[in-house]
Amino acid sequence: MTEPTLAQIDVDGALEEAAAAVFSRSGFLRKSATTAAAALTGYLWVGADAEAATANTANDIAILRFDQVLEYLQAGLYTEAERLGALKPETLDWARVVGAHERAHLRAIKNLLGPNAVKSPGFNYGNVTSDERAFLKTAVGFEDLTAALLKWQAPRLDSREIVAAAVSLHSVETRHAAWIRHLVGLQPATVAFDKPASQRKMQQLIDSTHFLASRPQTSARKKPRYTG
Amino acid sequence: MQSGALAGAGLATGAGVGALVRAGTATAAPSQAQDRQIFNFALLLEYVQAAFYSEALRNNALSGDVLRFAEVVAGHEQAHVDYLRKALGAHARAKPKLDFRRATRDQHAFLDAAVLLENLGVAAYNGQAANLTKPALAAAAEIVSVEGRHAAWISDLAGKPPAPRAADVGASSVEVIRALESTHFMKAK
Repeated sequence: MTEPTLAQIDVDGALEEAAAAVFSRSGFLRKSATTAAAALTGYLWVGADAEAATANTANDIAILRFDQVLEYLQAGLYTEAERLGALKPETLDWARVVGAHERAHLRAIKNLLGPNAVKSPGFNYGNVTSDERAFLKTAVGFEDLTAALLKWQAPRLDSREIVAAAVSLHSVETRHAAWIRHLVGLQPATVAFDKPASQRKMQQLIDSTHFLASRPQTSARKKPRYTG
Repeated sequence: MQSGALAGAGLATGAGVGALVRAGTATAAPSQAQDRQIFNFALLLEYVQAAFYSEALRNNALSGDVLRFAEVVAGHEQAHVDYLRKALGAHARAKPKLDFRRATRDQHAFLDAAVLLENLGVAAYNGQAANLTKPALAAAAEIVSVEGRHAAWISDLAGKPPAPRAADVGASSVEVIRALESTHFMKAK
């Protein structure tokens, strides 16, 4: 049913949006020399910036490849929901904003991975993108667990630049989770300390949805570079 | 309030502006000593947040969903203060003197201040994440996660975008102190 291509995923220039956000904070970051800001700036402008962060340990690459598949799944889910337009207006509003964020995250992770990036698997979301209840349940589940996953991964990353970039995505996922919980009448923040959840937990959630119509590549691409 | 007063009221005991600036710019590799500086910096923000919510509740300034938010979040922020104080032990800074004026007496002013303080918390922790040792980063991630939820929740209640950007870029300690200073919540001793 759905096999999002990159062109579909990046429908609205999400990269530009995220990059613009970095510079929109009125002089705040222009003057900043923090590792986080510098790394993220490079991270979003990768390709145009010689000093851009790149994942170059096997560990960081494995973590980011896992995240990339997850972002493909979420970006595809919310983008399809927005396109079908069958959900309640406030839910569609959430899907529109969060979909744009996940597409930006996807592009950012893809750039961090460079030649190690994963090709999009095929997805089939069934009725989840058009059925209000199914969508909300799925969105709450994925946002809460994505936030927990990024917390599990953060102290496991080798590169400090990638840590700085990853945490800047992590807190956005917690915002998505709180926002959708508020939308459905659940308490947005239930505990003082949010616990991490492992990649195995996330894999179980992904498997339980049967969204994955084809397996993502799990090994590095060995294809010769296209020299066209 | 002048910045000199803030430096006295705000900065870690035994750590001057220079120490915080160095921590903020990440020239030093993570170390336990640097963790302590960063946790003490975080503790300052958590003191302000915890006192802000508890005072607003004491003043009976809030109602409805905003009251519910403050009741829940006051407990979270106090738990963060307790956690950081325990982690820092004898190194923990003292609570600053605070004056929230209208922000804890008027729901409208409260909403503006709460949105600012929660977003500032997210930016502060994110800005220091790469400067922490792995165990300290794991702990800070559990806290900033909740700050992110608070920020989205209160923004939604205030009619502002709960997740305004695709990435929450971290702020340096100097930027955070400057933003905190702009609230005039911290009084000179």
